[in-house]
Amino acid sequence: MWEFFVRSLDASTIFTIAALSELLGQRSGILNVGIEGVMLFGATLGFMVAQSTGSYLLGFLAGIVIGGLIGLLHGFFSITLGSDQVVNGMGIWILGFGLTAYIGYPYTGPLGMERIPDIFGLSPFFFVGVALIVIAWFVLSKTSLGLKIRSVGENPSVAEVSGINVTRTRYLSVITSGMMMGFAGAIYSLDYNPVWSNNFLMGWGFIALALVFFSMWNPYILLAGSILFGTLWQLSLNPQLVLPGLMSRYIWRTVPFIITVGVLMLMSTKWFRTRWGAAKPDALGLPYIKS
Amino acid sequence: MLLESIKRGDTVLEAKGITKRFPGVLANDQINFEIKAGEIHAILGENGAGKTTLMNILFGLYQPDEGEIYLYGEKVNFKSPLDAIEHGIGMVHQNRKLIPAHSVIENIILGHPRAGNVLNLKRAGKEITELCDKYGFKIDLKAKVWQLSEGEKQVVEILKALYRGAKILILDEPTSALAPPETKRLLESIQIMTNDELAIVPFITHKLPIVLEVSERVTVLRRGKVTARLETKDTTEKSLAREMVGREVIFRMERVEVEKGKPILQVENLSALNDKGVLALKGVSFSVHEGEIFGIAGVSGNGQQVLAEVLAGLRDAEGGTLLFDDINILHNSSLERWLKGIGYIPSERVDVGSIGDFSLVENVAMNYYFDKKYAKGGVVDYKKIRKLTEEMIAEYDIAAPSPDTTAKSLSGGNLQKLILARVLSRKPRLLIANLPTQGLDVGASEFVQNKLMEAKKERAGILLISEDLDEVLSLSDRVAPMYEGKFMGIIPGGEARREVVGAMMAGLKPKVDEI
Amino acid sequence: MKLGSYEIKLEKRVALRGWEATAISTFAILFALVVFSFVFVQAGVDPLTGYKEIFSFAFLSSFGLPLTINRFIFLLLCTYAFIIPMRAGLWNIGMAGQLYAGMLSAFAVAFAFGGKGSQGLTLSPGFVIPLMIVAAIVGSAASGAIAGFLKGKFNTNEIVVTMMINFITFWVVARMIKEGGLFMGSSGEGEGFKLSEYLFAPLIKGIPFTVFIALGLGVLLWFLFAKTKLGYQIKVYGKNPIAAKYAGISPSKIPVMVFSLGGLIAGLAGYHYFAAVPGVYKITKNYGEFGDLAFYGIICGLISQGNPLAAIPIALLFGGLTNGGRFAQGKLKLGFGIDYALLGVLMITLVAFQFFYRYKIVFVKTEKEK
Repeated sequence: MWEFFVRSLDASTIFTIAALSELLGQRSGILNVGIEGVMLFGATLGFMVAQSTGSYLLGFLAGIVIGGLIGLLHGFFSITLGSDQVVNGMGIWILGFGLTAYIGYPYTGPLGMERIPDIFGLSPFFFVGVALIVIAWFVLSKTSLGLKIRSVGENPSVAEVSGINVTRTRYLSVITSGMMMGFAGAIYSLDYNPVWSNNFLMGWGFIALALVFFSMWNPYILLAGSILFGTLWQLSLNPQLVLPGLMSRYIWRTVPFIITVGVLMLMSTKWFRTRWGAAKPDALGLPYIKS
Repeated sequence: MLLESIKRGDTVLEAKGITKRFPGVLANDQINFEIKAGEIHAILGENGAGKTTLMNILFGLYQPDEGEIYLYGEKVNFKSPLDAIEHGIGMVHQNRKLIPAHSVIENIILGHPRAGNVLNLKRAGKEITELCDKYGFKIDLKAKVWQLSEGEKQVVEILKALYRGAKILILDEPTSALAPPETKRLLESIQIMTNDELAIVPFITHKLPIVLEVSERVTVLRRGKVTARLETKDTTEKSLAREMVGREVIFRMERVEVEKGKPILQVENLSALNDKGVLALKGVSFSVHEGEIFGIAGVSGNGQQVLAEVLAGLRDAEGGTLLFDDINILHNSSLERWLKGIGYIPSERVDVGSIGDFSLVENVAMNYYFDKKYAKGGVVDYKKIRKLTEEMIAEYDIAAPSPDTTAKSLSGGNLQKLILARVLSRKPRLLIANLPTQGLDVGASEFVQNKLMEAKKERAGILLISEDLDEVLSLSDRVAPMYEGKFMGIIPGGEARREVVGAMMAGLKPKVDEI
Repeated sequence: MKLGSYEIKLEKRVALRGWEATAISTFAILFALVVFSFVFVQAGVDPLTGYKEIFSFAFLSSFGLPLTINRFIFLLLCTYAFIIPMRAGLWNIGMAGQLYAGMLSAFAVAFAFGGKGSQGLTLSPGFVIPLMIVAAIVGSAASGAIAGFLKGKFNTNEIVVTMMINFITFWVVARMIKEGGLFMGSSGEGEGFKLSEYLFAPLIKGIPFTVFIALGLGVLLWFLFAKTKLGYQIKVYGKNPIAAKYAGISPSKIPVMVFSLGGLIAGLAGYHYFAAVPGVYKITKNYGEFGDLAFYGIICGLISQGNPLAAIPIALLFGGLTNGGRFAQGKLKLGFGIDYALLGVLMITLVAFQFFYRYKIVFVKTEKEK
């Protein structure tokens, strides 16, 4: 049972960091529905580099760097070219999903390195994730940079006339966001489940995307949501630990997805929106083109 | 020139030969213009005369194609608003440049160089409170901007500019969204500013009474050119109007008297929520008769929009009854209302009333695809609709090369004509016209107003919602001033007095003998 | 930017003409193929040889061409499943889930009538085959309608919902074919289940009859969008849901409608893959790959700009590319997943080229500088 709990927190870590990265980008007005693709890139490149060099550090760096580059690409399409962000995100997801299937294939199998040491049974990245949440909250709500990021996400033209460089602020957010997505992917493939197989994420990125909507763009609610979904995910993988023999293990795998749809539905009801809504950044998904 | 050595009456800002072209439009044509220390300087002109373009150039939002700007005698070249702000120019825009989700204080310090890496809200709060005390503003710094009234939002904008150290404050149509008492308070604060520290205020407006009331000098623009520079004390409302439009203006439309028929629309105690879930329409009751124009006057945001949407079937009502031809239509969809003969001209002509990427034919189809005569067996007869569109273009004199042009290539006036033509061609028995002349030039406005009169003659009942007091008073048979979701009364149009309605729009109950 | 005595400028397009869209799309595909040749180079294969292998197998060989046509039918149906919601401004990325649902429903009918390879038939194929098709489209339309209903009723993000349903259905299929399920008995016979010969979809000159369904749908959809009231309502909603409501179009009905129709067509793709492709006739272990292949529908839909007739040649090209890619992969000893890599490269190139649908490059002659 303890082991299950710890493993759940490990899973939560990946949801936390991935969803937080998406939250950061969205707060600046950039929607990236391709988060799963960026994570696949981070996970695959991280895995490849770590296995070939034998260094975890280089592996994580590779994951972060490729994530940042993909973030830059998304920024280029969405900020500079001003194209539809949903189309761009879809492009990034399919690019990630298609290309990693090809380049990662020769690396199919376990990583074959000594596991990263844990702290009280927990992955050290759990603490990194919690720290990132606190830092993100502080930066967004207490600093000038955070005010700028929130402002370009709410109304870029107002930010512009207040003397804020919208383009630079959005690029900064979307690149940082990409780096964190890549990092989250690398945690998956190097620490949580160090085995490469084709398209192994199977929806982590999409659930992280939904988590941002659940969080109402608040990092602390995001953390709570991530822990809930981490536990749920873990339960769906190992139902026999908690509820042995209740349902087929394949049916258990559908549970996190069904609950995601359910919660998302609840969140979008009028009842919920009029009471808790209005947190969504006003300019989310809208390109800003200076007139 | 040193800032300290400036005396009242010195020229502080001078623009020479400013020219700005937009595709197909010469927005500013060789404009010369100066502002002196301590004056309130009105820039007067119709919509589209180039006032806002000129001010945006002074504020660095646009760069002029030709011409030079001198500030305190030195040539300046603003590449962005930030440059202008650093030179002590502040601007209060007509469309609020505030972020609704942020608090007042966050809005004021946004982008301020002294905001600090970690925001120092305590220090900023103290400094802003001092500014408020000085100029007589009252505002809760912690409130979110979306919770504020239009007048309060404007105060926030002014405070933002002053906090950034603005010496020259450009106010673009500052009174257009304010009720008369709020306007009065604003003008008092501006007076304090001009007396103090030689702050200078150019003031852009198309409202003549405001010009006469507050300004010392007026520069009049027409079609991008300066047509007059005057001392306000030497002018009258009529002479300014002549300069502004280039011909005598008919201030009052001739109201056509039509025999009033039976009530076509009866509204009883109707209430509804706005998008934020707040009760914005708080129980209004009225009726509209055949052959009558019923006017609703009010400053925007007082529930007129919500009322129009409830009537058109675009928003659910919370309670009340809604009878059309004595039949309850409260639960009818917007389509059923179109079919019954209720026509709606929305205030958002680009975002609701038309589809920019569609051709004019497809736009006309918005009110015809459901019509059995134009769509048989689920197949739309585009040929027939195309012919209809051609007729509309001819009859309403719409400037469009062909029915296949996209709606987004039409100017605002032509687009409104198209929407008007489309809705009126259905011969509605009840027409809801929501801000039908907003943002149109005088010619197009007159055209629209004439068409409304014609519809009245054909015995349609018309509900006219307008923010333009003169328009609503001159067209309507009865007028209901609206304030915070309620009618302040219903006054017969002919007897309605401007000041009384103005006061009611601001929430003041009239004395009985005033009506 | 200056180039000699010309200045290169970007100009916003007022309207995109048909031939311009065609030119841009063609150029995007060619550009992607050029970019993709780096994959060949990196694998030590001459790109020209690579493409020659792919195209000659896909379109010229008697073995490859039927496979290409089967693939084409599948992709075209997936494209239509994407296009209908796309015209309403909505994203259906749930083709995978919808086609699994269609496949399972068709399977259920076959199973119920004992259409397993070894058993005799209790009813004529003339009755059971149409029933299988009806079951497939009902099942998949129902799967699609969920996302449409949630969108219309609560404005729930349809991308997340359709993706979630993909995963849900993926695992339901896994349960069925590995452990057995409601309509598969208890022994997990799904994987081993082979359709009775009588229930194979009829072939016409070696080509499954589903090709006529797919091509017929193309014409039907063209007519839907160009001429009909429903098509008009979908287009208005797609451009602006608020304007649609103003025009009396129900903002809750349109999403249900387009997702049901989209799902329905994806169900036909599921039926085609399960019951009409020679050599398959069962739910294979690698059904996930067919779900992935469905994502080509997104690219086809985007490149054709939602035009159902323009989608036909594009789906044929991609059918050939993916099919030939798999072949070249074996023959030239390339790594696994060359068709996946191509999918990614095509998609991102297309995304980059979106820009040119909105802007055009114009050359302006400038005066020579002194």
